[in-house]
Amino acid sequence: MQARSTDLGRRAAVLAVGTVIFLLVVLPVFRLGYVVWTEGSTQLDEVLGRPGLGEAVLNTVLLAVAVTVTAVPLGTLVALGLRRADVPGRGWWRFAMLLPVLVPQFVLGYSWTQAYGRAGFTDTILGLVWPSVLGPWGVWAVLVVNTVPLTYLFVAVGLATRAEPNLERAARASGGDPASVLRHVTLPLLRPSIAAASVLSFVLTMESFAIPQVMGTPAGFTTVTTTIYRDLSLGSDPLSFVEALTLALLLVALTVLVVIPADLWLGPRLRVTRVANPEGAPIVTPRGAAGRWIAAGLGGYLLLGVVLPLIALVTAAITPAVGVSPSPGNWTLDNFRFVVNARNAEALGRSALLAFAAAGLLTVLGGAVAVLERRRAGRVMASLVTVTLVLPGSTLAVALLITYGRWIGGTLTLILLAYLAKLWAFAHRPISGALDRLAAGEMQAARASGAKALTAVRTVALRPLAPALLGAWLICFVTALHEVTMSSLLYGPDSDTLAVVVLNSKELGRIGATAALSVLLTLVMLLPALPLWVLIRRLQSPRHPRAGGARSLAHAR
Amino acid sequence: MPADEPAQHVLDVRDLTVAYGGVAAVDHVCLHVRRGEVLALLGPSGSGKSTLLSAVAGFRPPTTGEVWLQGRRVADPGRAEPPERRDVAVVFQSYALWPHLSALDTVAYPIRRRGARRRPAREEALEILDRLRIAHLADRRPAELSGGEQQRVGLARALARQASLYLFDEPTAHLDTHVRGVFLDELVVRREASGAGGLYATHDAEEALGLADRVALLNAGRLVQLGTPEQVYAEPVDIWAAGLTGPASVVRAAVVAAHGGRCSVVVQGHRVTVEGTAATPGRDTVPLLVRPGWARLGGELTGRLRAARFRGPHSDHLVETSMGEVLIREPGPPRHAVGDDVPWTLSRIWPLQETAAPGGVAGPFLSRAQSRGRSDSRPR
Repeated sequence: MQARSTDLGRRAAVLAVGTVIFLLVVLPVFRLGYVVWTEGSTQLDEVLGRPGLGEAVLNTVLLAVAVTVTAVPLGTLVALGLRRADVPGRGWWRFAMLLPVLVPQFVLGYSWTQAYGRAGFTDTILGLVWPSVLGPWGVWAVLVVNTVPLTYLFVAVGLATRAEPNLERAARASGGDPASVLRHVTLPLLRPSIAAASVLSFVLTMESFAIPQVMGTPAGFTTVTTTIYRDLSLGSDPLSFVEALTLALLLVALTVLVVIPADLWLGPRLRVTRVANPEGAPIVTPRGAAGRWIAAGLGGYLLLGVVLPLIALVTAAITPAVGVSPSPGNWTLDNFRFVVNARNAEALGRSALLAFAAAGLLTVLGGAVAVLERRRAGRVMASLVTVTLVLPGSTLAVALLITYGRWIGGTLTLILLAYLAKLWAFAHRPISGALDRLAAGEMQAARASGAKALTAVRTVALRPLAPALLGAWLICFVTALHEVTMSSLLYGPDSDTLAVVVLNSKELGRIGATAALSVLLTLVMLLPALPLWVLIRRLQSPRHPRAGGARSLAHAR
Repeated sequence: MPADEPAQHVLDVRDLTVAYGGVAAVDHVCLHVRRGEVLALLGPSGSGKSTLLSAVAGFRPPTTGEVWLQGRRVADPGRAEPPERRDVAVVFQSYALWPHLSALDTVAYPIRRRGARRRPAREEALEILDRLRIAHLADRRPAELSGGEQQRVGLARALARQASLYLFDEPTAHLDTHVRGVFLDELVVRREASGAGGLYATHDAEEALGLADRVALLNAGRLVQLGTPEQVYAEPVDIWAAGLTGPASVVRAAVVAAHGGRCSVVVQGHRVTVEGTAATPGRDTVPLLVRPGWARLGGELTGRLRAARFRGPHSDHLVETSMGEVLIREPGPPRHAVGDDVPWTLSRIWPLQETAAPGGVAGPFLSRAQSRGRSDSRPR
C-alpha cells in the first residue's frame, strides 16, 4: 500500500516538473518556430536579404571559433600549470583564476574600454592606447578572459577525476619523460573534458550578448544577439520583428548543429568506467624556477585581464568627467551621488528580488530534476533541462515574449520565467553531480539503521549535499543578478533591473555614471556571494584534515 | 665478490627520511636489496611503506638521506632523478592501468619509450602477455578486464620495462602462484644478465614471509627489524614485531638457565627445558613469545581451555596457563570442550624485549580467535 502511494507521488512529481519544463521551454520554442514558419514564410526572402544579416551571422560564428581556439588551450595550460606543487600560492591562484566570472560580463567589457580605450586609463597615465579595444579584437579578448575560467574549471575537474596521479606515475616509471606522459597519457585522458569545454565555450560565445553589445556595437561590429536586441528595442517596422524571430531561431539551429554531434560523440566518453581508485599524489618536483614562472604568468594575465580594467572602472567612477586627470585631488563621489536615486534603488530592489526568487526556486527545481532523473521516467527531463544550458538567452527571451507576452509582457514575472528556464541547468548540474557522488550504501545503511526515507535524507544525505545546494543557489543568484541578455529584451517601463539600467546608462554615453553603477552592481553581488563562498569551502573541506596522519596529508595536497 | 658488497646491491637506501609538512613518513631508514633478491616491506597501513617506495621510484624527493640504484646515486636532498631515468619498474596498488589503452598498448608503452618502433614493441609486448597467459586479452581495455587480469597486465607492463629493480606497492590481491612464478623466473633470468631485485610492500605477513628472501619490518616510518622470513618469524625483536609477523602468544615466565640453544623455564612451579635462549637468565619473569607450533596438547602441564576454533586443516586452542594465554594449533577438529582442564607441553620460547605493552595474546589473527572464544559460552 505504501509502495503504491510513493509510486503515485513520484509520478505526480514527474508530471508536475515535466509540465513546468514544457511550459517554460518546449512550448515557447515550438511557438517561435511556428510563428517564423507562418508569418515569416512570406517575408523570409525580404528578411534574409536585409543588409548586415549575413555579416552578423558570419561574425558570430567566427567569434565563437576564435574564442574557443584561444580559451580552451589557455584554460588547459592554466589547469596543468596549477597542478604543479611548486607554484607558489597555488591555492590562492586556483581561487583567483575564477574571479573573472564573478564580474558581470558587461562590467568587464566596459572596464576594458575604460582601461585600454581612447582617453582611458593607460592612455591618461602612459599614453598607451589600443583603439581596437572597441571592435572585434576587443570583443574577442574580453570573451577569452571571461571564458578561460570556465575552460580551466572543466579541464581541472577532468584532471582531478580522470588523470589520476598514479596513471601518470605509472607512465613515468615506465620510462616516459614529462612531455611523452602529457602526450600519451594525460591529454588522451583529458580529451573528453577538453572537448566538452570547447563545445561549451563555442555555444556560450555564440549566445553572448553583453560584451559584443558594449564593445562591438559602438564600432559597428554586429553579432546575431546584438542584432536581435537592435531589432526588438530600436526597430519599429514589422520586418525588424520578423528578423529578430528568424535570427533567434537561426541561433538555436546553429547551436543544435554543434551540440548534437558533440553530445553523440562525447556522451559515452564522458561516462568512462573508472578502473582504479583515486590514489597517489602527483609527482613532487623540487621547487624550481618553473613554478615561479607559472605564477608570474597567471599574475600578468589576471592583472591585464581583470585587475587593471577594474581599477580603471573604479577610477572612472570617482573621476568627475572624461579628460580630468584621475589623481587623488580630483576624486569625488559625485557620480555615486548621481546614480543613487529612487529609480535606481527600485531597480536594485527588483534585481535583488528577482535574483533571490530565481535562485531559491531554481535550487528546488534543479534538485527535483536531479532526484527524479534517477528513475527512467525522469531521464528525459534531465536531458531537456541540460539542453536549456545551450539554448541561447536571446532565443529563449524572444520565444517567451511571443508566447506569454500578451498577458505578462513587460512584467517581472516574465523575466523571472526566463531566468528559471535559462538557469535551470545551472542549478541541476551541481546537485546532480553531488547526488552521483553520494555513495548508495550510505542511504541504505541509514534506512537499515531504522531511518525513514525523509529522516535518512535529512541526517545522512543533506550534509554532503549542502555544498552543492548552496553552490547551485549561489551560481543562480550571481548569474541572475548579472543577466542582461534576456532582461534587456523583456523589461517594461516598471520592470528594469539594475543590470539593464547600467546597460542603458552606457548606451546614453554617461561614462562616470555607468562606471559608478557598475561598481555598485559588482559590490551588491559580492555582498552575499563572498560569505556564502567561504561557507561552501568550509563545508567541503574534510572535518579533521590531520586525522589520517602523513598519508592523508599527502593526499590533501 | 661477496654478495654483500654495495656494488652487488640493486638498491641502497641510506639514512632516508621523507617528511610531509614536518611529519616524517619514513624516518632514517637504511636498507638494501641484493641482486636476485626480493625484499618485503612489512608494516601496517601508515607505516611508510608506500612513501619509501615513492622515494625509491622517484615520485618524491628525500628530505634527508640518499637512494642508490645499481651503485649509482639517484636521489639526495639536493637532487632527485625523475622516475623515467631510474632503472625501476612499479606495480601499483590498484595497478594504475590507463583506461584509454588496450592491454597490448599498455605493455608496449615502456618498450616504445626505450626507443623501439611500434611493431617490434607490440610483438615484444604480446610475448610478455603470453608468458602471463593473457595474450588473448591483448585488445581489451582495463574496464573489460577482471581484477586478476588487470594485475597481470600491470605486472606485464613492469616486466616490459626490463628494470633492475621491481617495486610492488601493496598489490590489492595477492599474486597468484603462476604470476609469482613468472616474476621470480624473470628475476632469475635477469640475475644472469645484469641482476635484478624486487621490493615488495605489503601489510600481509603471510604473503611477505612466503614471497621474500628477506623481510623489513616498518613501524611509523622506522625500520624495526630486517632479516630472513625465518628470523623475523622465530626471533622478532619485540612484542610489536611478534604480533605483526604472525599469530603470537606473549606469556610471562622466568628463564632460569640457558645453554646451547636450550633453556629452562619455570611453569607451574616446575622447571621445563625447552628450545630457546635468554640474554640474562634469572628469577624475574620476562615476556616470552610462543608461536602456535611451539606448544602442543598433551603432556605434563595443565591449563584451562578458554576457546577452541575449528579452522579446517587444523584447530586453534586458546589455553589459559599459569604463564598466560597460549594459542596451540593442532591438526583436526577440537578435541576438548571449552572450560575443560587440558594437558599441554611447551617446546620452544623466544624472549621478547620488555615493552610498555602488557602481555597477552597479540596479533590480529589471534585477537579475533580470542574475542570469539570468550563470547562463545555455549556448550559444544
